[in-house]
Amino acid sequence: MGLSYKMRLLILALGIGIATTGGLFIKSLLKPESFGVYGPYRAAAIDEEAQIPIRHATNVSCYSCHPYEAKIHKAGLHKTISCEFCHGPWADHVAGSKKVGTLPVKKDGEITTLCLRCHNTEITARPHEVIKTVAMPGHLESQKVKLTHNCNQCHHVHAPLKYINRAKQITESAEKAL
Amino acid sequence: MKTDQEKRAFLKKVLDGTIAGSLYLVMPMAGLAMGNNTKDHASRKAPLEKLPEQVPGIRGKTYDILDQEFAFVVDITRCIGCGSCCVADKREYNVPDDNYRTWVERYVKGFSDQVYVDAPNGGLDGYQTPRLDIDELIRDTFFVPKLCNMCKEAPCVQVCPVGATFTTPDGFVLVDHERCVGCAYCIQACPYSVRYIHPTTKTVDKCTWCYHRVRKGLLPACVDVCPTGARKFGSLRDESSEVYQILKGPGVLTVLKKEMGTWPALYYKGARREVV
Repeated sequence: MGLSYKMRLLILALGIGIATTGGLFIKSLLKPESFGVYGPYRAAAIDEEAQIPIRHATNVSCYSCHPYEAKIHKAGLHKTISCEFCHGPWADHVAGSKKVGTLPVKKDGEITTLCLRCHNTEITARPHEVIKTVAMPGHLESQKVKLTHNCNQCHHVHAPLKYINRAKQITESAEKAL
Repeated sequence: MKTDQEKRAFLKKVLDGTIAGSLYLVMPMAGLAMGNNTKDHASRKAPLEKLPEQVPGIRGKTYDILDQEFAFVVDITRCIGCGSCCVADKREYNVPDDNYRTWVERYVKGFSDQVYVDAPNGGLDGYQTPRLDIDELIRDTFFVPKLCNMCKEAPCVQVCPVGATFTTPDGFVLVDHERCVGCAYCIQACPYSVRYIHPTTKTVDKCTWCYHRVRKGLLPACVDVCPTGARKFGSLRDESSEVYQILKGPGVLTVLKKEMGTWPALYYKGARREVV
């Protein structure tokens, strides 16, 4: 080989240079656009996540079209319960300002099951200062109603003491009148 | 076609039955112009403007991602195990069955100090029956909601080989579904088991503290639906927020698996030492 020392050095330097440039070029092709803005990840993914449409739209949206239910619900002990928990998410019901689907309304036995999800005394893990619980069928017996009764036959589901308090008022005033 | 639509819009306005509507009959052109600017526009608005601003200081200005900090507080002493949060979470994201972004565990502690934990279907169906398989006197029993801890030193982020999971400057640990290759290293790394492979996308998925809702000034879905206030979320840049007051106050707060040095932004109030 008749190459001089300097020539060999030059070839080596050129080789490294070409390899580096090529490598950087390939890297620039493979690297996603917003990679590395905040760290070693694609910054655009943050905005993509932020732009997912919401499916639950708070009780306020429900109240805006259902004023009758809203009035009762807001006045009762169940005001902290989300409409969407029992009835399903807003997005299944409304899109834009159009109704796109009917949300289910719980019926009969389903209602009792739903009530006991929170109000069952048997579940002792429940802090009793947070929630009032009842034992079944003891509660039905003590209230002298049929054991086949569902909760909503005495309790308004949106404001549980609405009818109970009204009934008390009527009986009290009847007693006073006597 | 265009004329049809205009006719339709005009008739709609007339049939609204308002005084304005009958005025439109007399002054159709003026009515159309008015209608376009007011009522019609308002009804087409995205619902967002009508929703309450649950996380103040986000809407109506450019979001400065570098100057935000959030915290999540779970108050175990207020959780009744109703599972509202789990149901809302499943519906918000259409989470596939048998996968959970958040769940509620039931802890039962006997006088022998034995701890029994169960979470049938992640608490999605609520807790309808007591545990009948425990053969000793029960000393203490409570519910523990679980979700992503949003670690400041997140093990899942450290192990991801493709930079698909990361901590955002505002403190959320998110997943880039475009880059995730589904290798599941992060699932093994997560000390809190909050990650799963989504059966359809085959990428990893996890609780995001409803990042999309927070950026719209809304509370995470689970916090919004919680009937007892057991789940609390808020900005630490807002001194009036409930979580700021709790974190600032003297109450005892704990984090899960503190010894692992993950520095979670999820705090528990009233958590017994058995909670892991």
